[in-house]
Amino acid sequence: MSVSLVEVSLAAFVILAAIGTAIFRDVMAAIVVFAAYSLGMAVLYTLMLAPDVAMTEAAIGAGVTTILLIVTIAKTNRSSAEELIEVIHWPAVVVAGTFTAVVAWTVFEFPTIGSDEAIAWSNPSVTQHYLTYTYVETGVTNAVTAVLAAYRGFDTFGEAVVVFAVGVAVLVVLDREVFT
Amino acid sequence: MSESERVRQEYTQSPIILTTARILAPFVLTYGLFITFHGADSPGGGFQGGVIIATTVYLLAFTFGVEPTSTWVGHRSMAILAAGGVIIFTGIGFATMALGGNFLEYAEFVAILDLPENEVVKWGMEAVEIGGIAAIIAGVVMALVFLTAGGYGPERGEEP
Repeated sequence: MSVSLVEVSLAAFVILAAIGTAIFRDVMAAIVVFAAYSLGMAVLYTLMLAPDVAMTEAAIGAGVTTILLIVTIAKTNRSSAEELIEVIHWPAVVVAGTFTAVVAWTVFEFPTIGSDEAIAWSNPSVTQHYLTYTYVETGVTNAVTAVLAAYRGFDTFGEAVVVFAVGVAVLVVLDREVFT
Repeated sequence: MSESERVRQEYTQSPIILTTARILAPFVLTYGLFITFHGADSPGGGFQGGVIIATTVYLLAFTFGVEPTSTWVGHRSMAILAAGGVIIFTGIGFATMALGGNFLEYAEFVAILDLPENEVVKWGMEAVEIGGIAAIIAGVVMALVFLTAGGYGPERGEEP
């Protein structure tokens, strides 16, 4: 598995940002570092040739979530922090660290991106069908959009209605009647 | 001091933020519309485009304050976007059923559109992406920042 220097440094940046989000005592600092984490992930997705996912991560993770969290701490009390770093609870660190190590172990079993042993190719009759016939059958060249809106349209319908339900649920929770 | 006055005072009229938002906002909105309308042939689509369109409203809310932006957008337009998107998406799904196909089987529109089958499917997908998904996401994501900033309670919601 060959990785470039850019990918390694981005991965290190993402891991450091994730640790920073967990240990910074100031909530505002944690939110800013979390936004940096999302942006790093978005660039990583782009390098892994998944621009649709990268765009979602940049817009939702780095943009919308950050602003919603900032608005939330503006509405609540932001504790003035004396120390820079949260008091570390070592037993929790051991548990979380062990879990991370076990999950990270599986990374070495992954096939290289783009190799014919990758999981995406484990059912070539399906993947090849989408890649070969997307334009013939749906008239669009972005196979991701074709799968989302045409081949798996009903799933996407469910997702879109879930987002609508989220808006209604927030109205119910906040005891409000209109979207302002 | 009323609640709205208190909220408004939390925003400082910084010339840097004002200038940046004035210059950026039209470009961000155009980019969001491009991602939405061009999702079929380039990365992106209704979901990403809808979020970027809503982000323009976030930028305005951050620059000019949540209260004035919320009044400017209006609760009605957000409700129309969110609910209208669901209606359009469901309507297209049921229209294909009325023509004798399955739910969202766009190819059934061949019966009423004089186009080759893959073109018909493309226009069906575009309608669902733009009129359905992008509208729902833009409406709901815009509303989230106003709802969060408004907090609990019906008193602000009763403004016409």
